[in-house]
Amino acid sequence: MNERPREVTAEVANVAAAVERATADLALTEEPAGFTTALEDGAGDE
Amino acid sequence: MSDWTITTLGAAIAARKVSPVEVTRHCLDRIERLDRQLRSFITVDADGALRAARELESELASGSCRGPLHGVPLAYKDLCHVEGLPTSCGTKTREYFFDRNECTAVARLRRAGAVTLGKLNMSELALGPFGENAHHGDAQNPWRIGHVPGGSSSGSGVAVAAGLALGALGSDTGGSIRLPAACCGIVGLKPTYGRVSRAGAMALSWSFDHVGPMARTVRDVAMLLGIIAGHDPRDGTSSRRAVPDYVAALERPMAPLRLGVPENYYLDRLDAQVERAFQTALRVIGDLGVSVEPIRVPDPEVMVGACSNVMVRAESAAIHARLIRERPHELQPAVRLRLEPGLHISAHDYLQASRLRARLTRQFVAEVFAAVDVLIAPTIPEPPPAFEAVKAGGPTELVKRMGRFSRLTRPINGYGLPAVSLPCGFSEDGRPVALQIIGRPFAEATILRLAHAYEQAGGWSARRPPLD
Repeated sequence: MNERPREVTAEVANVAAAVERATADLALTEEPAGFTTALEDGAGDE
Repeated sequence: MSDWTITTLGAAIAARKVSPVEVTRHCLDRIERLDRQLRSFITVDADGALRAARELESELASGSCRGPLHGVPLAYKDLCHVEGLPTSCGTKTREYFFDRNECTAVARLRRAGAVTLGKLNMSELALGPFGENAHHGDAQNPWRIGHVPGGSSSGSGVAVAAGLALGALGSDTGGSIRLPAACCGIVGLKPTYGRVSRAGAMALSWSFDHVGPMARTVRDVAMLLGIIAGHDPRDGTSSRRAVPDYVAALERPMAPLRLGVPENYYLDRLDAQVERAFQTALRVIGDLGVSVEPIRVPDPEVMVGACSNVMVRAESAAIHARLIRERPHELQPAVRLRLEPGLHISAHDYLQASRLRARLTRQFVAEVFAAVDVLIAPTIPEPPPAFEAVKAGGPTELVKRMGRFSRLTRPINGYGLPAVSLPCGFSEDGRPVALQIIGRPFAEATILRLAHAYEQAGGWSARRPPLD
């Protein structure tokens, strides 16, 4: 595990770039817990 | 007897037309006869199953019936902790996972009267949409031996389709219930995130894992869901929302429904046979009085690329860090290749992805479900391919194929939405193809009702694989 395989390094870089591109405009109020709140708020009447 | 469903068998047992011991023996005989080739079980607990069946039979004799699941034989993906049985999670290690308490979903099914036949084969650590497993053997597609059964809940799909068990539990982090259900021609439901407790089941990714039912019919899946759903103090993410009667909901008249067919992403690069079966299914559903409308959905590539890929990798690498670091040689090369990047994802990227996921989910629910009530899409982009084809080349090629095969299911785990997969036809050479119906959060009753109506009209669930 000392030497990181080339595919692993490339994959980590790809992932980091994708995150950077997509999260540039996140507001200060946006937090991970908003996910479960979005599900509860988005539920209909069943 | 191989044509029983959970519903018909449960009714026959309750009416004392057939006994729990008789049906359990039938399943065990069938496992003995067929599973050497199908490889759907990792552990068969014949003694335990017969012991439980005899106890349930005694209860019936004394006039006590636990309900529609009384005496019905089921089996569980080998990542559910079941008291007294080992849990390999598809790894080389026989007892890789242990919990002090039994998996909540399993315990609820057992309390409802289910007989446990054993533990089912799966992709190693639930990582892989094809169902290959070098440690326990590749589970085989019962419709066409040598072809993939779908994964990661491969054994669950195979055992149910082949009539070795009446129903099963699977888990779904990126499609692992819906993909084997689709490949094996059965029904599988990934519930809303939080609808079913994941306590006592090995985690692959806490934020994306879902436990759910697999069975031959929508009605059976609705019944199993009603038993396993609901709050569990052992799973902090489980919702306190009341559990509806999903079986009763199947019979309610269908309210006018707007069914959205995504114009983007979900119909791209489909095999021609899948495309044809899907378009035929849309016409059948349209004839049911459902309004079928095109809709442009928020780009799923953002959810998958910037959220799922980051969070699932980081969480799975954290959960299985000891195995990756101390015994990497025990992992299949493609599994290792998928796990290792997670060790190097930064906390910053993980947190940004988590924040973005919340935003994308809220946006998706608000935009899509303002325009339509449910979405529909194919579950698999091609009929189940041959093992030989998916394994060709090295692990890098295999991992790329995995991404393509699960591209229609993975976004839905990101949004945490409920989705049910059911058969919508067969390829010319007899391999199943399937569609998935996706609902707003906690709308399991709605998607099951539509799936049931389509199942009745389409008639695909009545077919059986050519095994006998």
